[in-house]
Amino acid sequence: MAAINHHHQDTNTPVTANAISSSKQPPPSAKSVDTQSVHKRLQSELMALMMSGDSGISAFPEEENIFCWKGTITGSKDTVFEGTEYKLSLSFPNDYPFKPPKVKFETACFHPNVDLHGNICLDILQDKWSSAYDVRTILLSIQSLLGEPNTSSPLNTQAASLWNNQEEYRKMVEKLYKPTA
Amino acid sequence: MVVDATSSVCDLGALDSLNGDALKEIVESWNGFCFATDALLKGNGDCSHGSKFVSQAHALCKHGLESLVQEHFIGYLEETFEKNGASKFWRHFDAYRNVAALGMNMDPIQKDRVQQVLCKALEEISFEKQYQEKCLFVLIDALQSYKDSTSDKRQNSDTERLYLISKYQSMVSSVLMASLPPHFPGKSKVQMPETKAKVHDLAGDDYRSSVLESIKEWIQAVPLQFLHALLAYLGDSISYDTHSSGLKSPLASRYAGIDNPSEGLVRWKLRLEYFAYETLQDLRIAKLFEIIVDYPDSSPAIEDLKQCLEYTGQHSKLVDSFISALKYRLLTAGASTNDILHQYVSTIKALRTIDPAGVFLEAVGEPIREYLKGRKDTIKCIVTMLTDGTGGNSSGPGNTGDSLLEELNRDEESQENTGVEDDINTDDKQAWINAERWEPDPVEADPLKGSRNQRKVDILGMIVCIIGSKDQLVNEYRVMLAEKLLNKSDYDIDAEIRTLELLKIHFGESSMQRCEIMLNDLIDSKRTNTNIKATINQPSQSGAGNNEFSLDILSSTIISTNFWPPIQDEAFNIPKPVDQLLTDYAKRFNEIKTPRKLLWKKNLGAVKLELEFEDRSLQFTVTPVHASIIMQFQDQASWTSKNLSAAIGLPVDVLNRRISFWISKGILSESSGADSNDHTFTLVEGTVDTSKAGANTGGCEELLVGDDDGERSVASVEDQLHKEMTVYEKFITGMLTNFGSMALDRIHNTLKMFCVADPRYDKSLQQLQSFLSGLVSEEKLEIRDGMYILKK
Repeated sequence: MAAINHHHQDTNTPVTANAISSSKQPPPSAKSVDTQSVHKRLQSELMALMMSGDSGISAFPEEENIFCWKGTITGSKDTVFEGTEYKLSLSFPNDYPFKPPKVKFETACFHPNVDLHGNICLDILQDKWSSAYDVRTILLSIQSLLGEPNTSSPLNTQAASLWNNQEEYRKMVEKLYKPTA
Repeated sequence: MVVDATSSVCDLGALDSLNGDALKEIVESWNGFCFATDALLKGNGDCSHGSKFVSQAHALCKHGLESLVQEHFIGYLEETFEKNGASKFWRHFDAYRNVAALGMNMDPIQKDRVQQVLCKALEEISFEKQYQEKCLFVLIDALQSYKDSTSDKRQNSDTERLYLISKYQSMVSSVLMASLPPHFPGKSKVQMPETKAKVHDLAGDDYRSSVLESIKEWIQAVPLQFLHALLAYLGDSISYDTHSSGLKSPLASRYAGIDNPSEGLVRWKLRLEYFAYETLQDLRIAKLFEIIVDYPDSSPAIEDLKQCLEYTGQHSKLVDSFISALKYRLLTAGASTNDILHQYVSTIKALRTIDPAGVFLEAVGEPIREYLKGRKDTIKCIVTMLTDGTGGNSSGPGNTGDSLLEELNRDEESQENTGVEDDINTDDKQAWINAERWEPDPVEADPLKGSRNQRKVDILGMIVCIIGSKDQLVNEYRVMLAEKLLNKSDYDIDAEIRTLELLKIHFGESSMQRCEIMLNDLIDSKRTNTNIKATINQPSQSGAGNNEFSLDILSSTIISTNFWPPIQDEAFNIPKPVDQLLTDYAKRFNEIKTPRKLLWKKNLGAVKLELEFEDRSLQFTVTPVHASIIMQFQDQASWTSKNLSAAIGLPVDVLNRRISFWISKGILSESSGADSNDHTFTLVEGTVDTSKAGANTGGCEELLVGDDDGERSVASVEDQLHKEMTVYEKFITGMLTNFGSMALDRIHNTLKMFCVADPRYDKSLQQLQSFLSGLVSEEKLEIRDGMYILKK
């Protein structure tokens, strides 16, 4: 992981960092957070996500384990990713939401900020993380990242160099797109 | 064979003493004897072979082969009799078996002919028999003379003779019976069709009386008499048959008469009875559906069937036939849920008589339950049956009399009874009683269907079992109770309290708790109402005493919202004076019950009102909305729908729907104005429609408050369910988006695990399945190989 994108445009993140809940200070150690409250938090995030009705993004906990979610995002209209559907995996740490979840593409995605293993370079998933973000905002951010990549510090240089030629890029996306059954 | 028979009779020492010559002699005599027997029996009355036969018999007896001689002879007689006598005898009736099968309506000539044939047949067979008997006597005489020549054991030979005769007798009757079936295939045996026709005739289609007894009597009186005559005829033809009374073989008693039936006759009787039972059973089973339809009246028929089945043991026939009748006649789209339920209850009651262990009921009830589970109004109908017994639609047939309320009562009584003898060692006592009463399961019981304890026939249990859980039933009852209570104006809830108490016994105090609170609300309301009325004469602090209406006309139902089902809210403007009255009432309530305040649900309740016209006055009981509408016409005789909707605060379409009530009563008339959307409603003064007015004048017209367009004060259980299910739908869409396809079980488990916030997922697998199939029919989902996937 040579280059990490620290300069992500803020337009992708609808929630600002100021929104950190002031009532709860991040605890000194991850161990002290009882999983019960994490559980609760994830539970309510799920409910919010289900009731929000955003189109093109979805996620749901895998069987038996609310710390592992499967996500789905579809490429937005009028982008080269239109009509594609990508599976994601979200894995929440025990001290969530004080630490961000690990998010990976499960479907191969030809994108400047996604490497061949599906790792995503997105600031809010690294140093810009805030406990005010939730699954929904993460998914929305990734969805908009698809259409508006940061080509200045790419994980996939081939994709970054091809980005300017949208027609060719679209062909490449279609060629590499392998939807899950 | 010969050696065997010999050794069994003679002592072995005698065998040793046989030398070659003796053996030769025996073989020769034996062959001669066999030949002579053959010749004698085929001799057609000619006894010329007699002397040879006698000498051969003597020769064999000399060697101690007496019993062998007897055996052989009797065996030979049997063979011959079967060949010549019995088959010929039955063949005479071949021509008549069809006639008999068609029923008993033979004309006298035919009957006569049958009689003649019978006589002829009897004559023939007795001739045969007589001849055989003659032959038998030849043998007996031969044996006798041999014995006479060797010793003088006179007394013994008499027994011997009788023994032979009785053996022959029993042989004859058994051959007659045994040779019957091949000649008369199936049920058309000579007596059987007659019996069958008689059974049909007696049984008919009247299930109100028991026919089994009369059938038995008939069997005794008619066919058995015939058989008696037949057998007696054969038997009596032996001349000295009568004076042998002293020595009776246990196998062959005399055909002395019906009072002292012979073995053959007893066998015939059993046979006939079995046949009659079977016929009646088949007849009743075929009509079981109808019988159960008129159940309480048709219980004699059920009782008959029970006895028949005990006799024949063909319970599985009943189950199969009844299930197919059910599927064909009851479980169809055309049958109303109420009728199905009533039939179900009757079935339970009827089969409980036949089979107290409930084994067959289990098999029969299954298809009905499965079918009912698929109907939407099942729960509602059940609750209605439980609570008022008249069923949902009182017009339906057979609704009275089999209410489940009665069942509740019955169970309560039995519980009370056990309560009386309740003492310290109830458990021991009960255990002992149970042990005493234990009976093994019928053989037909399906061992997979749980143990006997779980199969106790409990109508309520079986009904609840249709619904799936008692919670659902209780919930539906709560909605129904709420509806009822809200429409009461007199606080009279005795019947409801009684029902609730009964339900509490069955479903437990805790599950009925909310219903109890609802009833308590009513009781409290009554008290509060009286208290408030008592303050009428004291001017309220607000001074709002100068109303058009007095507080006397108002009574309130104060409910604890949390415990009631969700209540439908509909905002509209109540006429000023009434509103003022409500406010005043609420103030007084607040004064009495500080700090509690009344929040009116203005759309609920009932209004009794009287409309006074110049020439008539009409009384109605209507909903507050209807009352508000008509009150607007008090000051202004004509309204446009737009203005009226503004005045009342209802959307125009709702108003139009509501106002149609008054139009249909001939109180208002509707005319479309210039604007097609803006109608004008005018008060009809005077008697326009004489017939309608005539019917109404002076009459106090009561009107059901919740009218036909499904207006209810309480959100129905389905509505609540639907609301919850839309939340689940989003979850289901969410999980299917991410997991692709999922089986029902997994969806169910996932919902259970993750849908825990309000509303918590608490549905049964079955409810989920029906919900999912709803989504499939809405084309939101697809189902492929049992897996649900999102439809794209």
